[in-house]
Amino acid sequence: MVVPALVILLRGLKRGRLSEAAGATGLVFLPMAAYALSVLLLMEDSKRVTFCGSCHVMAPILKSLSEDNGALSSIHFRHGRVSHEEACFVCHSGYGIWGTVGAKLAGLRHMMHTVTGHYDRPLQLNGKFDIDSCLSCHAQAQAFRAVEAHQAIDLQEALMSREMSCTGACHPSAHPEEAIAAGAPAS
Amino acid sequence: MIRLACVLVLMSLVAVVLLALETTGPNAIVFSFVGAPLLAAGVAVYVFQRWREGAFRAPQPSPQTQMRKEF
Repeated sequence: MVVPALVILLRGLKRGRLSEAAGATGLVFLPMAAYALSVLLLMEDSKRVTFCGSCHVMAPILKSLSEDNGALSSIHFRHGRVSHEEACFVCHSGYGIWGTVGAKLAGLRHMMHTVTGHYDRPLQLNGKFDIDSCLSCHAQAQAFRAVEAHQAIDLQEALMSREMSCTGACHPSAHPEEAIAAGAPAS
Repeated sequence: MIRLACVLVLMSLVAVVLLALETTGPNAIVFSFVGAPLLAAGVAVYVFQRWREGAFRAPQPSPQTQMRKEF
């Protein structure tokens, strides 16, 4: 798709004119189709851990996943509880179709913050963490239900109303502090 | 004008090729914030040029058709 467009564009560049059909194809249809397909590629490939870690500010967090540091992300990653390919997306996208939409919008905001350099360290989550990401796997698990604290009604209500999160009071933080604070300075 | 449109669209396709070769954050940024505006600008220049050439105007009736209508 790109190659025919390039041929037409180089021809137009050389001659300074294009026929109606060649112009519409090489300047409008093919490039737009290439962009549409690339957006689909980007939507799918941006779920990958390597994509998230390719920006310098995320590199220390990506590195910490494989380390034995006691953080929740490390425990899940090292024990194969989440996909090694899409670990960031699994936990940070939220649950359901709107979770995916929200994650893509958040990704767009991340790119804008990276371009403008408008972000502070230590990095902070924008809003509260969506614990549906945790509960979508754990809620039906026998081991989770067997824990006495999880059976308490007041705790369940606090979790469901988002007054309380899994991390903080009961479980270790999602990522180690030093990984969140590390990374190259904002430019 | 056509040359300008070609250059803009060519530059935007470089971003597509970069993204296809390696889908990374920096390439996604180039694709979204450089390539896409360049493509939009290239298409806009081309459409403007076609408009100047009269591509989007309704065809004028020939003198014969005009005479027949009057008759």
